[in-house]
Amino acid sequence: MSVMKPKILNLQRHFLVRAGSLLLLLLALRLGLTTARADAVSDLASFSIFGKVDLAQLAKSDVKTAHGPPMSNQRFIAVQSCYVASGSPSQQIEALRRWDPTKHRELKVFLHSDLPSNPTAANFEQLKNAPGNSSVRSLVAATQKLGPDLQVSREEAKKFSAGAGGGAMPASVAAFWADVLAARAKGFVSGGMSAQPPYDHAGSSVRASDEVNGLLRDQGKIRSQFSGLLGATGIGRGAGSLKPELYWELLDVDDQGVVTLGASYNRGGAGGTYQAADVLYYASGGYYVALTLYQMWPVTVEGKSSTLVWRGDMISAVSLGSLHGVERLASESVMMKNITKAVAFFRRDTSGGR
Amino acid sequence: MFAEENTGNWFESLGHIPTEYIAEDTYVGDGDVQRGPNKNVRDFYENDSILHLVFTPRIKPGVLRIGAEWERFSFGLPHGAALPDTLQSVGLVMGLDMQFSDSIIVRAEGQPGVYDTEFDDLSWDSFNFPFLIGGTYIYSPNLQLVLGVSVDIERKYPVLPAAGVRWKIAPQWLLDAVLPTPRLQYEVSKDVSLYIGGNVKQTSYRVPDDFGDTHGIPRLNHTILTYSEVRTGAGLDWKISNIITATGEVGYQPYRNFDFYRADVRYHQDGGAPYGTISLHGAF
Repeated sequence: MSVMKPKILNLQRHFLVRAGSLLLLLLALRLGLTTARADAVSDLASFSIFGKVDLAQLAKSDVKTAHGPPMSNQRFIAVQSCYVASGSPSQQIEALRRWDPTKHRELKVFLHSDLPSNPTAANFEQLKNAPGNSSVRSLVAATQKLGPDLQVSREEAKKFSAGAGGGAMPASVAAFWADVLAARAKGFVSGGMSAQPPYDHAGSSVRASDEVNGLLRDQGKIRSQFSGLLGATGIGRGAGSLKPELYWELLDVDDQGVVTLGASYNRGGAGGTYQAADVLYYASGGYYVALTLYQMWPVTVEGKSSTLVWRGDMISAVSLGSLHGVERLASESVMMKNITKAVAFFRRDTSGGR
Repeated sequence: MFAEENTGNWFESLGHIPTEYIAEDTYVGDGDVQRGPNKNVRDFYENDSILHLVFTPRIKPGVLRIGAEWERFSFGLPHGAALPDTLQSVGLVMGLDMQFSDSIIVRAEGQPGVYDTEFDDLSWDSFNFPFLIGGTYIYSPNLQLVLGVSVDIERKYPVLPAAGVRWKIAPQWLLDAVLPTPRLQYEVSKDVSLYIGGNVKQTSYRVPDDFGDTHGIPRLNHTILTYSEVRTGAGLDWKISNIITATGEVGYQPYRNFDFYRADVRYHQDGGAPYGTISLHGAF
């Protein structure tokens, strides 16, 4: 008898987690009477995979997730979700900014730190205190070998010099990554994703900006919905007019330690709506780029201020390219599961649980 | 249902139809089977060839599986053995992988086709439609539980349940204990894996109208033969490119059974045999 054997890509990363903070309060789950703004529901239906939404039911349930549309590039995967959270969109945004994913071991975010607008290598000093786990050891080994899976440019690779040092991450490795991350973060501030060096150390050249633009190109309605926000950011282009909130992390992707750089943007719209975008524009391995978009509408549920949240998670990763059929379906399932889990953690942190 | 999903253009992916394929051949050295205390078939080899091509386009309900498969067992039997020297099947593969939640994926797949011997005297009785329904519960990215049922109305036991587990024990170790090919796998590098494991096969075939007459047991005419075998061995998977993986496997066949169960004639294993398998497979 033959039954399916899905190969799973573990997409547990912080970008899946941060958006969970949009579920600020849990009171909506206890509410009975719901008053939805028709424009929010119809707006959601106009660009998302979710068509007709029953806001009252949604307010009582967990996050609703669904596969995004099929993508033209095998490296791409997209998942959409929607839910109702208590509080206004602006409160959701603020909670998202404050939330710390490193408190949850299951999310495998080992280090997280915000960055100033003019980052230097000193902002990555925490790398010296990286935990001594197998993920970090694999990152250290990959760095010292300058292996083909390491996503750096040729110029960056030339700057690595092996040296002695103790701890989970030897000083030479920590210094190398601090320099690489600082230079890339500076480049993002000054020139957006277009200014990022390619991943070309292993041969073929991959640009994160091309990847993110490819992800958006395959989802025309979403690209159109967010064109105003994205046009003001450095996502897939040069530096925009909006000021990003910068951060970096050390996390686990498929049992491999990965250092990553991220930027978050948000902007208020008419009628108290908000849009936000969170991009991981650099990763040392595991994935090329990851983007999460949020659309938030103020709604009234049982007479209380609430928010209807749509989020779209999309990722480009070389390992996805080898997944076919049920393996790809399973990978998307894992991604949806991680989003649901991240939302649950956020909910517990910010509202004391259900 | 509180949120209906927009259909979107799910058939855009048909521009490039994802495809999976297998071309495999196994040679089993001289083995023996026995019927009762005195009727033996000694020192016969086996050759098992498989061609499998399945398209797996993404459609709204999940992943469609549509294609074809051919399998042929050839046995180097001594003269007078009351066994067919060829067992052969060719049929469609028709299935669907469906996601029921973010934790449960279900596969329903049938293989309607002709299950016969030499294909020289086909009739509708040679047609069969074995199918399976299996579900995977994704507990975590590293652990999945599998439960399924295989149905073949021509088999002695038409419904066979099975359970399995897929557990990534460590970054390089994977226990893929799912039938029909349970394995313990060690990833040497990104392109090379070693494994030990098994391969369980059981298929029912219709023998010709005069098979019993020509082999000295008239009640075997036009009856059903359920052929079963188990292989256990060690192998190597080498990913030559993104679309081609080569596999080499050697081992021992500890179990083999020719069961004309409706005629109450059964040849069971009396002496195992070594085997070797080569395979090219992949998806693109």
